[in-house]
Amino acid sequence: MTRPVIEVEKLTKVYPGGTRAVDGISFHVEPGELLGFLGPNGAGKTTTIRILATLLVATSGMARVAGFDVTRQAAEVRRRLGLAMQTPTLDGFATGRENIELIGRMHRVARAELKRRTDELLELMGLTLVARKLAGTYSGGMRRRLDLACALVHRPQVLILDEPTEGLDPQSRLALWEELERISYDGTTMLLTTHYMEEADRLCNRVAIIDNGRIVVDGSPGDLKAGIGADTVTLQLEAHGPEEMARQQERIRALLSGFESLDAIAPEPFGVRLAIRDAGRAIPELMRRLDRDGQAVHVIGLTVGQPSLDDVFVKYTGRRIRTEAADQPIILGW
Amino acid sequence: MIRDFFYETWYLGLRTLRRFFRVPANWIGIILFPLIQLFVFSQLFKDIIQLPGFRSSGSGSYLAYLAPGQIAFTAFFAVAWSGSAILVEYRNGYMDKLRSTPIYRISILVGELAPLFIESAIMAGGILAMSVVLGATIKTGLIGAALILVLSGLFGMAWAGTSFVPALLTKSEQATGTLSLLFFPIAFMSTAFVPPALMPGWLQTVNSWNPITFLIEAIRPLMVSGYDWAAIGKALVAIAVLSVVLQSATLWSFRRLTA
Repeated sequence: MTRPVIEVEKLTKVYPGGTRAVDGISFHVEPGELLGFLGPNGAGKTTTIRILATLLVATSGMARVAGFDVTRQAAEVRRRLGLAMQTPTLDGFATGRENIELIGRMHRVARAELKRRTDELLELMGLTLVARKLAGTYSGGMRRRLDLACALVHRPQVLILDEPTEGLDPQSRLALWEELERISYDGTTMLLTTHYMEEADRLCNRVAIIDNGRIVVDGSPGDLKAGIGADTVTLQLEAHGPEEMARQQERIRALLSGFESLDAIAPEPFGVRLAIRDAGRAIPELMRRLDRDGQAVHVIGLTVGQPSLDDVFVKYTGRRIRTEAADQPIILGW
Repeated sequence: MIRDFFYETWYLGLRTLRRFFRVPANWIGIILFPLIQLFVFSQLFKDIIQLPGFRSSGSGSYLAYLAPGQIAFTAFFAVAWSGSAILVEYRNGYMDKLRSTPIYRISILVGELAPLFIESAIMAGGILAMSVVLGATIKTGLIGAALILVLSGLFGMAWAGTSFVPALLTKSEQATGTLSLLFFPIAFMSTAFVPPALMPGWLQTVNSWNPITFLIEAIRPLMVSGYDWAAIGKALVAIAVLSVVLQSATLWSFRRLTA
């Protein structure tokens, strides 16, 4: 039996001032697995990662990376760890190549190997042409890729990524996803945090939904979605102005009251979103009910879909995940 | 163990130097002010050299008197804001990136401090060269010039603590910049502009303790007369005391910040 690469037991972090950022989290990541931490900003994802990366000391609980305790054997953990934080951290006055090489040297990658590995990573990340340019001149996507290259230079056993695609345009995000999939495929164990559903859905073998410093549920994206036990039916409505839209949404709510297949109903800007058990069989009845009051609702579209991780998140936390950009903490000095 | 420390400090130090020299504003900013003082004051106060108090300094012209002071000023300016760089990297997370690699934490600090020897020495060398161009002499020749650069470099490295301590404690660039102004009077009250004989009594007392004065008075004979080992010895002692006091404070502040 192989031992989990990341083991966390009842990990708690209370900041001075009393904020419980992490509140008794336990989880483990098996070799080669890619675990995603999904949660809103402030859920405790970054704090957990900083503890695992030996940058922050936990208040209580145990955390091991590659079999080593993060507090007592920090040096052993660091040797096996690749880390990329939320905002790319690069030396802007060094070239792309110099950035990678410095981190490689700090990890004691041998000279010849370092040269070869740097070339390889620059090529892999599509940075060969700008390798001699200062990193300070790079675009957002290039910075991300260079940061990732730095994290990979010593062939880490574990890769920890905090919001790896935060602030990227869709095209760069897609390119980075492909990169991460390749790295994961090569057998590197990964832990990443995200508040993008599509990201968790696409990349992760397993997702842990974290909210208010606790893991509320974890499992493979497929299992989590199956656990919802209902399909998602969206109705597009035609309405002139938001008041009429709200009126129609209310009307639908009234028309569907007592409909036994209905699990949940939520308004959307374009209409309503319904969670309906066994939607295939329930649709005719749904249509009959909507038709009962000929004029009041104008349905112009209907789609039936599998539930998404969005639905899973709503189910377990009672809230939608907010997708606004992560707020950078403001460090106040004097 | 010690080899690891040197290895890490070497590469981190090279990075610090690169970061400094790749931005021309860094070294132009440092060298400009002493250069202006050297040029303007040597003309403006040309005849001040005839005052009796200057005779004992051995300087033949006010330019010759002014030059050692401006070389010391340059070493002073080279490190006056040196703590900001480590602060920026603490803030943007680069320090965390380094801390997540298997290196000694102290290598990060020494990798910032040690290169200041080279930065200060080179900057001071620029002003030394300009002084010679303008007409000053170096009686002790190349060896003396090298000695001047070493003294300036050592002083710069030690004095950097005055910027690192406020930077690491306040975590604010503005505070670091403002607090460094507090140290400027120490430079201006030194013997850079007038010899102690022409100063009021209390200033003479201040200057018997002023580390910048010790540096200036070690450089001066190297330029105008010859080796004054007593003066050089005093400067080295002053720098050593400064190092012990400021560097322990820096180390303490650094440990506090990265705890």
